[in-house]
Amino acid sequence: MGDALVRLSSIRKQFGSVVANDDVSLAINAGEVLALLGENGAGKSTLMKILYGFYMPDGGWISMDDKSVSFGSPRDAMAAGIGMVFQQFSLVPALSVLENLLATFPDAPWPQPRSSSRVKAALRWLIRLAPNIDPGSAVRTLSVGERQLVELAKVLNLDARVVILDEPTSVLTPAETERLYGFIRTLATEGKAVVLITHKLADVAACADRIVVMRGGRVVDEARAEERTPGALVDAMVGRGALGSLSPPTPPSNDLPQLQVRGLSAEIERRYVHNISFDVAAGEILGIAGVSGNGQFTLAEALAGLIPVSAGDVVLRGVSIASHVQDGAIPDDIAYIPERPLDNAVVAELDLALNLALRDARRLTFFPAREKIVQRARELMERYNVRPAQPAREASSLSGGNLQKLVIARELSGKVKLLIACYPTMGLDALAAQAVYREMFRQAAEGACVVWISEELDDLLSYAHRIAVIHNGAIMGIVRRDAADRRALGRWMAGKAMEAA
Amino acid sequence: MKAASKVGFVAIVGGCATFLVAATIFLFTIGQPPLATLAHMAIYAFGDGYSLSESLVKATPILLCALAVILPARLGLITVGGEGQLYFGALTGTAVVVSFPAQPMFILLPAMLLAGAIGGAIWSGIAGLLRAKCNVNETISTLLMNYVAVLLVSYAIYGAWKDPTSLGWPATIPFPKAATVPSVFGTRVHAGLVVGVVAAVVLHIAVTYTRWGIALRVLAGNRKVAAMAGFDFVRQTLLVMAIGGALAGFAGICETSAIQGRLQAGISVGYGLTGFLVAWLSGQHFLRAIPIAILIGGLIAAGDALQLYSKIPSASATILQGLLFVAALGAGGLAGRRNARHG
Repeated sequence: MGDALVRLSSIRKQFGSVVANDDVSLAINAGEVLALLGENGAGKSTLMKILYGFYMPDGGWISMDDKSVSFGSPRDAMAAGIGMVFQQFSLVPALSVLENLLATFPDAPWPQPRSSSRVKAALRWLIRLAPNIDPGSAVRTLSVGERQLVELAKVLNLDARVVILDEPTSVLTPAETERLYGFIRTLATEGKAVVLITHKLADVAACADRIVVMRGGRVVDEARAEERTPGALVDAMVGRGALGSLSPPTPPSNDLPQLQVRGLSAEIERRYVHNISFDVAAGEILGIAGVSGNGQFTLAEALAGLIPVSAGDVVLRGVSIASHVQDGAIPDDIAYIPERPLDNAVVAELDLALNLALRDARRLTFFPAREKIVQRARELMERYNVRPAQPAREASSLSGGNLQKLVIARELSGKVKLLIACYPTMGLDALAAQAVYREMFRQAAEGACVVWISEELDDLLSYAHRIAVIHNGAIMGIVRRDAADRRALGRWMAGKAMEAA
Repeated sequence: MKAASKVGFVAIVGGCATFLVAATIFLFTIGQPPLATLAHMAIYAFGDGYSLSESLVKATPILLCALAVILPARLGLITVGGEGQLYFGALTGTAVVVSFPAQPMFILLPAMLLAGAIGGAIWSGIAGLLRAKCNVNETISTLLMNYVAVLLVSYAIYGAWKDPTSLGWPATIPFPKAATVPSVFGTRVHAGLVVGVVAAVVLHIAVTYTRWGIALRVLAGNRKVAAMAGFDFVRQTLLVMAIGGALAGFAGICETSAIQGRLQAGISVGYGLTGFLVAWLSGQHFLRAIPIAILIGGLIAAGDALQLYSKIPSASATILQGLLFVAALGAGGLAGRRNARHG
């Protein structure tokens, strides 16, 4: 493969004492989709940020078209035809789509003439990628998926020959993901080199030509996509045997309902749930499937008692727990893992030790012993593998996956009677996700009722005892796992009631 | 930690340099020798015992009003109501004196001070209640309530409480000896300064080391998580607003009793607003507010002295004060930004 478009050789990068990339060599070819696969912290993003001129490597060299290059800044890299779409978008929400695209031209921020040729040039990719986006609409009105397409158009407008996508599917709905896969294939067909940074095997299966697996800052495997089974890839990502098998907890011994939800209706910010009823027995895991945005968040908040219910009741072991936050904190025997931990579960400006102590905050003495709080935080962070394990750090400095682990450490370390988990493995890699599932199943095995809201239908089908489907704020149906069938669940998720069932 | 202290150093040095340059240009423009005038000001502010005591007199209400801003700021509230709370505290405190002027000191003085503090707490608490219960922006409500409080005082001293023996001068009766806040060190410096410094230290310890401080930080950071942990936003909002208002109201009645000796218009020369600026200069930090308040008090006192001895209008001291604020805030902001970019 002497004709590689870009070649990274022996790249080394160190942050303090942490080696992020260790002697990494990689070839990127035109007309090919390269999946850069690895767990969180494997060094994938760091490597690509070096190529993009965002970081300077501590060792190694980069060549492009067989000429040695060195990018001091993303601007240099962009000029050379390398574009990157980050997980965090760099669009101005208040400006229109067209204005955002115009602002990327090299001569911005000088006044941008809106001549028809100029506008045409700015929109040429957007029209192909997403003809249904109105260029005049403000970016803040777009969905996350649409924003990502605008971001991609921005990169392509600069005639990028290498397009790097950093975990592009982590924020997309299934339909948007499918569409993105299509575009990625199209780009490769047109001769662009596409690098897809991901930890999802589904991404690899859908559109990769070649796979490079990274682990601990090194390349551990490289192959054509068709040469590797999913199992082999997982082994390469996490190390052989590291991902032990996970068995679902045994079904509850009796059907005696411990959690009874009756005719529950609630609303937050015009997101409704309506007339929801179900029972959960002690030790039972009830999975709630559904397309994101169909009332899952409202349901979780209502079950946790954080929002007033407009009708119905939630009864846990004979005691009503609906709307109880108006009288005080969440009771100790209820664990709640909300979605988007940074918004809903932690205080960004507070350090990790205090964030971990929040559940007990009311019971602290008036002059809390700082050493005790820090000591407990250290233990929890060790046990739940939160990185970096520095209790004095602010929560805002943690990555999404580690924040999720922090919340799980706080909520699941005690013994609970009810666990409400809303997308508990969002942003986690396979190993961390498995650790989370273990904790959830342990709670179930010890007799907790578990309500598990998830978009991962595969996981629900593997581990939940029963699966309910929520659509448009209502429960479409509940089935036992052994009776569940993907197509029926899919129909419920799309809002079609079971015909004559 | 190291970067933060470096930012602080850059901010202080840069702020001082910017202020000196701006002050030189200003003094040069109005035809005064810049360096000599600034040196005079320093002497008039802190040069001898008398100057120092006058500076501390001015610093007292400024410090108390700054504390009244900093505490709500710890909950994420921005109040500009120090001036109104100060006036309303003066009004309620004076009400006690006007109603029972003949009571002995051990009853009258505590009752007056308490009434002043309660008045400030109520005035500020109203804004807190509106914020907590009806989500009314506390900055706007406290700003508007300033006007109401000032005019209420005017109403009282032009009307029912006007001293008939004062030949038409709008003021209440002079406060009896029993209603005069004791001075310390035999100067005009009064017990309010001691209360201000003690309050600053106590509040600093409270918000830094106690469970209450954690509650405030959690509530300021994420109201939703605070509710999950069982912290009540309504109660804490009322509490911080009331404590802050009590301090400002206390400043008002002290100023009336110890300095003016009677309630009259203009008991405050913008102490509330100056306190707000001191709070921001201190980075909403209780202990740092003490030296800054004394510095600003010195600047105001020096302005008065300058007018008296050097025939420079005292407005020029206000202008210099403004330049100091802008220089300090600007340098601090720039240093922080530079650090964010390169750090």
